[in-house]
Amino acid sequence: MWSYFARRFLLAIPTLLFSTLIVFLVVQKAPGGPVEAAIMASQMGGGQGEAGGGAVDMANNGVSQASIDAIKKYYDLDKPIHVRFYRWGKKILRLDFGVSSNFGKPVWDMLKGRFKISISLGLLGFFLSYMICIPLGIFKAIKHNGYFDFGSSVLVFAGYSIPGWAFGMLALMYFASPDYGYEWFPLNGIQSSPDVFKELSTWGKLMDYAHHAILPVGAYMLGSFARLTILTKNSLMENLGQDYVRTAFAKGLPERRVIVVHAMRNSLIPLATGLGHIFSLVLAGSYLIESVFQIEGMGMLGFKAIINKDINIVMGILVISTALSLFGNIVQDVLYCIFDPRIRFK
Amino acid sequence: MGRKGKRRDVQQKKRDKRLRQREAGKAKAAAEQERAASQRAKAVSGRQSSVGAEVLAIAAESSATEPVAKAKKELNIPEYKPSEKSLLKVRDLHTRFRTEAGLANAVCGVSFDVYEGEVLGIVGESGSGKSVTSLSIMRLIPNPPGEIHKGSILFQGKELLDLGWEDMRRIRGKEIAMIFQEPMTALNPVYTVGFQIMEILEHHENLSKPEAFQRGVKLLEEVGIPDAERRMTDYPHQFSGGMRQRVVIAMALACDPSLLIADEPTTALDVTIQAQILELMLKVKAKRKDAAVMLITHDLAVVAETCERVIVMYGGKVQEMAPVSQLFKDPKHPYTLGLLSSLPKPVRGKKERKLKTIPGMVPNIHNFPKGCRFSTRCDVVEDRCHDNEPELHKLGDYHYVRCHLVEGDKIEV
Ligand SMILES: Nc1ncnc2c1ncn2[C@@H]1O[C@H](COP(=O)(O)OP(=O)(O)OP(=O)(O)O)[C@@H](O)[C@H]1O
Ligand code: SF4
Ligand SMILES: [Mg+2]
Repeated sequence: MWSYFARRFLLAIPTLLFSTLIVFLVVQKAPGGPVEAAIMASQMGGGQGEAGGGAVDMANNGVSQASIDAIKKYYDLDKPIHVRFYRWGKKILRLDFGVSSNFGKPVWDMLKGRFKISISLGLLGFFLSYMICIPLGIFKAIKHNGYFDFGSSVLVFAGYSIPGWAFGMLALMYFASPDYGYEWFPLNGIQSSPDVFKELSTWGKLMDYAHHAILPVGAYMLGSFARLTILTKNSLMENLGQDYVRTAFAKGLPERRVIVVHAMRNSLIPLATGLGHIFSLVLAGSYLIESVFQIEGMGMLGFKAIINKDINIVMGILVISTALSLFGNIVQDVLYCIFDPRIRFK
Repeated sequence: MGRKGKRRDVQQKKRDKRLRQREAGKAKAAAEQERAASQRAKAVSGRQSSVGAEVLAIAAESSATEPVAKAKKELNIPEYKPSEKSLLKVRDLHTRFRTEAGLANAVCGVSFDVYEGEVLGIVGESGSGKSVTSLSIMRLIPNPPGEIHKGSILFQGKELLDLGWEDMRRIRGKEIAMIFQEPMTALNPVYTVGFQIMEILEHHENLSKPEAFQRGVKLLEEVGIPDAERRMTDYPHQFSGGMRQRVVIAMALACDPSLLIADEPTTALDVTIQAQILELMLKVKAKRKDAAVMLITHDLAVVAETCERVIVMYGGKVQEMAPVSQLFKDPKHPYTLGLLSSLPKPVRGKKERKLKTIPGMVPNIHNFPKGCRFSTRCDVVEDRCHDNEPELHKLGDYHYVRCHLVEGDKIEV
């Protein structure tokens, strides 16, 4: 079986190569790019366009051919496409995603900082939702059709139908601003201002972070909350009706053990589905939630990069999230194998 | 990396070879073990008490499907004499389910005894309430939608229906064990067979893990699973259906229960394996003389081979109850007659191909007729059958029949 996973990893390489090729082609063919950006800039008056100097060329809206060539050369646009792809691919292997056309900074450096934020928010939300939804689902299954089951279903589905960003705004209104409600939580950001943050102990830093993270993470989780809870409940209910559960009761095991050890273990199998997908979601972040809470995460960066046609950033994000979702799928298969001994890949 | 890799490769190959040799040795040992086990099993069944021995002897000659009538004719079965001590007394048991179509009275007024040391068969068509009766005894009726709403179940003098959850739990698996029909789904797919056997021993006998493991290996050997020690760490899907049912039996026998309830333990298995499994199940009696077995089945041939006494159920009620010899020699209830005549019978010389069947179908559980429950299908039905429900009549010491046409002392046990 381990050879299966080794093969999966090897297969992931051409898959990644192919999908980056598609990403590369799509982004290259899309209108807008450094040249157009320069032209726009010159039309707005000033900017990079003037740097090249020389004769004014009307066809290029006031940017000289020389400066266009310079820009093209700088971004390798003068080479044929396969050469460009080859060069770009080689650089990516060294995690060199080029330089952002808007910010002039290396893309990798810009991504690195945001990773930390997105991943920690995403993982926190992910673990919290599993830690809340699984026990909740178990409890609902045991008390099926009771008052608790009914009441919590109403809440969970209400949460499901409210978009995360809308919940975020309401939460900010009522829990982070003294004008409407209470000022229990900070209004924005992911940590206190650097000066304050530096002074804190490790524990203090952690608490500061948690304090900032609670509302955005809540907004993150809201949508997946219903799905996870109901999935846990349904799959547990289904397993409780299985023959082997009756066998376990007939063996004289305590009810707790039958539910937790026998039925629950089987209910985890469907919960492993989608783990791989979550991997890339966590990274991609959510533009809307990040902008409500003014967090400088991946979602925000990606959105701005697309608006500004910042090709290198867009491609960087796409390549990384493709790689992560490939990796996530392999992780998911490994988890399947751990949870369900019947699954053996060859 | 090259040379190192090659050396590692060679080592790996050597290891593989050694492993293969060891496996081959194990397999040989296992085969011998199995042979020994089956011989032991034969010896055990040979020692079976009174009726069992002769019936099994005949059964060994004729396969499970072969006509029972022949076997019975050649047998001179001694008069049935159970031990007078009753292990389980079920009285006026009523179990019902709340369904969308209304109340489903699955078991309505079932009374019977299980005596120490006997093998009691329960037969009846699908839906007659056999499983619900046995699940009621285990108190495993899912609630909701089901409930036992009337009656009494005395086990070794204790009223099971009054026991708390914890006391009942101590009886399940330890004093009363149950084997279910479907070996393919009765075991938890995500745990090893060893884990599932060991947890019974850990819970009921307070054994430590290593002790439980040793006992588990012994149990698997007893039910004839070759290479038991290695098989302990295998998962259920690595076993065949017959082997899984052996595992289930090993689990049921783990604590030497005084009552073993087997709900159609062989229905899902190949005919060739059925006989072996039945034989194994009766092993519980080899371990404990006073242990009783309740065998639920569709199959009268199985009853003839393994049981000493039999209950015929229809529509959630006992219709006839008799020692096996009596039931085959002198069946009284029209339903029993119907069941018997639908067994294949050899006619001297040529085989009769057509089987008689009971006309009509079992009514839906919500539309049983008012009078006798069998009146919609009975070929000797009378007017009074439609209006009055017949009571259970006592014909002989252990022979009871519920039919208006039968003369005898009316009793409700
Ligand atoms: N969980 C349940 N909910 C509703 N009705 C049920 C339930 N379990 C059993 N019944 C009803 O009880 C009746 C008796 O069922 P039972 O399983 O005891 O029959 P059986 O004699 O064991 O039949 P089979 O030979 O098919 O196993 C059936 O008519 C069935 O519809
Ligand atoms: S009571 Fe009547 S209907 Fe019922 S079995 Fe006897 S003869 Fe048939
Ligand atoms: Mg049944």
